[in-house]
Amino acid sequence: MSTNRRRMRVASVVAGIGIVAVLAAGCARGGGSPNDTDDGGAAEASPGITDDSITLGITTPLSGPTAGPGTCTVAGVTAYFGARNAEGGVEFGDGNTRTVEIEALDDEYDPQKAKANYDQLKSSVFAMTAGLGTPTNRAWLDAAIADEVPQVLIMTGDPIFSNQEESPWQLGFVPIYQNEGEAFGELLAGSAEDHKVAILSQNDDYGEGYVEGFKTAIEGADNIEVVKELTYEATDTSVDAQLTELAGSGADVFFNAMSITPLVISSLQKSQELGWLPSWFLPSNTSSPSAILEPGGAAAFPGVYTVAFAQSAAAPTFAESEEGAAFLEQLAEYANYPDVPAFPHCVWSYQIGATLEEVFGNMTEPTRENFMEALRDVSGFTAPLMLEGSTVDTTQDGLPAVSTVQVQKYNGKGYAPAESWDE
Amino acid sequence: MGTFIQLVIDGLSTGSIYAALALAIVLVNQATGLINFAQGGMAVLSAYIAWALNGLGIPLLLAILAAVVISFFLGAVIERYLIRRFERGDPDTAVVVTIGLLTLITGFCAWIWTYNNRLFPSLFPLETIQIAGAVISVRSLGTFIVIVACMLLLQALFLGTKLGLALRAVAINPASAAFSGVNVGRNLMIGWGLAAVLGAVAGVLVAPQLTLTPGMMDSALVYALAACILGGLSSPIGVVVAAWLIGVLENLAAVYVPFIGHDLKIAVPFILIFVVLFLRPQGLFGRKAVVRV
Repeated sequence: MSTNRRRMRVASVVAGIGIVAVLAAGCARGGGSPNDTDDGGAAEASPGITDDSITLGITTPLSGPTAGPGTCTVAGVTAYFGARNAEGGVEFGDGNTRTVEIEALDDEYDPQKAKANYDQLKSSVFAMTAGLGTPTNRAWLDAAIADEVPQVLIMTGDPIFSNQEESPWQLGFVPIYQNEGEAFGELLAGSAEDHKVAILSQNDDYGEGYVEGFKTAIEGADNIEVVKELTYEATDTSVDAQLTELAGSGADVFFNAMSITPLVISSLQKSQELGWLPSWFLPSNTSSPSAILEPGGAAAFPGVYTVAFAQSAAAPTFAESEEGAAFLEQLAEYANYPDVPAFPHCVWSYQIGATLEEVFGNMTEPTRENFMEALRDVSGFTAPLMLEGSTVDTTQDGLPAVSTVQVQKYNGKGYAPAESWDE
Repeated sequence: MGTFIQLVIDGLSTGSIYAALALAIVLVNQATGLINFAQGGMAVLSAYIAWALNGLGIPLLLAILAAVVISFFLGAVIERYLIRRFERGDPDTAVVVTIGLLTLITGFCAWIWTYNNRLFPSLFPLETIQIAGAVISVRSLGTFIVIVACMLLLQALFLGTKLGLALRAVAINPASAAFSGVNVGRNLMIGWGLAAVLGAVAGVLVAPQLTLTPGMMDSALVYALAACILGGLSSPIGVVVAAWLIGVLENLAAVYVPFIGHDLKIAVPFILIFVVLFLRPQGLFGRKAVVRV
């Protein structure tokens, strides 16, 4: 009797977990259309800032599957300001020199937790920054607008955060997904040959944005044909079936708009197993030479392209450069991150630190309003570790702080700029 | 036809990963009557141990064997000093304890080894064999063979050995087992130890493909639990067959059933579970619990 009942109970627990898993996969695509554009009045000194210190808040995944890039988002900016604090602090435009403190909380890439973290931090920090994730940042977008708390230089390629009407207290840092997809499309459309393209994309804003940008760029190019297009869920453990189907399409170019590191590695391997050897396009956050391309055996393909605006810490020459060496040293010393980061997010958030310092230097009052004004006035700023040709420009509505990207081609070790397809 | 065979083979290969974890869950369930939700976490820990030993210069196969032995003791220790306090109580409490254990182990792995993806060398080469227009990787084949061997050994253990009989007796009725001279505590420790060993096998088989991260087994665990319910918790062969079925049907449904596609395929195992539980509450291969009055 008891065994039977226990089995039933176990079965119901397992079935329950299954339902939650399915729902979680289905609900991953969040929405939200903020309409509150109240710009608020000025206060004497906003919360989180004194004459000698300023506190910044971060909510980002520090555990769970996205924790790798998530810990990087805290490490880079902590390293940057750790080094500045050690030198005495950051000079602000109001004449004060302040140390910069970081308060980082774990949201596990869970929108609910991100909102709770924001609620916990909003009255003690001056601004929220650097946090990674589209659904998580969207979860407290409306609240940040209502509370007039800056949610800036965050790591999501969702265009909503760069639209000033929809997001008056927000600004994205990394290029929107469309920018990256477009760069690939332009490169391919400029090729002298005909190409058949297969696309695999993540079934959310991330994947859709990439594909949208790519398709916009190849519109009217009569040498490009998209022969097969499939999607996958971010929760999938394997995309072997998709690759099998795509391999059958006979495409010579494969655009893999994928954000999950292990899946990219296994895609590269599976494709070789199937004997399908197209040229690859990979997004900037899943194209690390040491963490993805090498284990995936990317050298077997005629070309692997990615887009980037920042140097890759995993490239062999990185540590030899002065900037690179300083970055790695500060990361180890101030952010307790002794490894060479496999994710680009460490470099990005280091650049966010530098951009914030630039903004602080232009602030004339210790208020959030004044900060937002100064933030929207950065142009032509070259943050450390940026690729030549990329700059920070916050002056254009609709675009994030960094919107210029360069296509790069894998050369077996690191990346080299690719001006055209046929070189 | 080539695509169909390829999809079936790919499904068997992914299914084998779920199967390895499912076998470990069945073993603990058979020995203690519990579902161990920490099984995925324990598998990850074992894989990290093997990876760390390999990093110290120990050859891969030896490192894996050492990790398997260490895992046995870890499993036994966890049973003896943690789980035993909850084994005879409310099963719901025990479920919560194992979920807590999962969180703890994941956190522990992240604390020691961080969330960076670690590359785990594969036991099998990255080569392929062509059969009937389909490509089979040696790694998939290797995974498949190891899982079949584990399944057969486990089935033999339960049905053909004194230890297996004792394990089953302890799970079904510890009091009677004790009266018959079975050392209940020792058998429970052995059950957990063996499950940890199976977890270790699953971990080192999966790690080269998924790369080693603390949450590596999370999704696989959901599928493994699905396989356990589908196959019947009392049958090692049943859960392995169910895991294969899930892997294969998921792939085929994604490609050949238009409204499912690759987006909805995660729902396939759970739809299967509902159907099977409705028709056969004990699972496809499970035995009905018989009660004498």
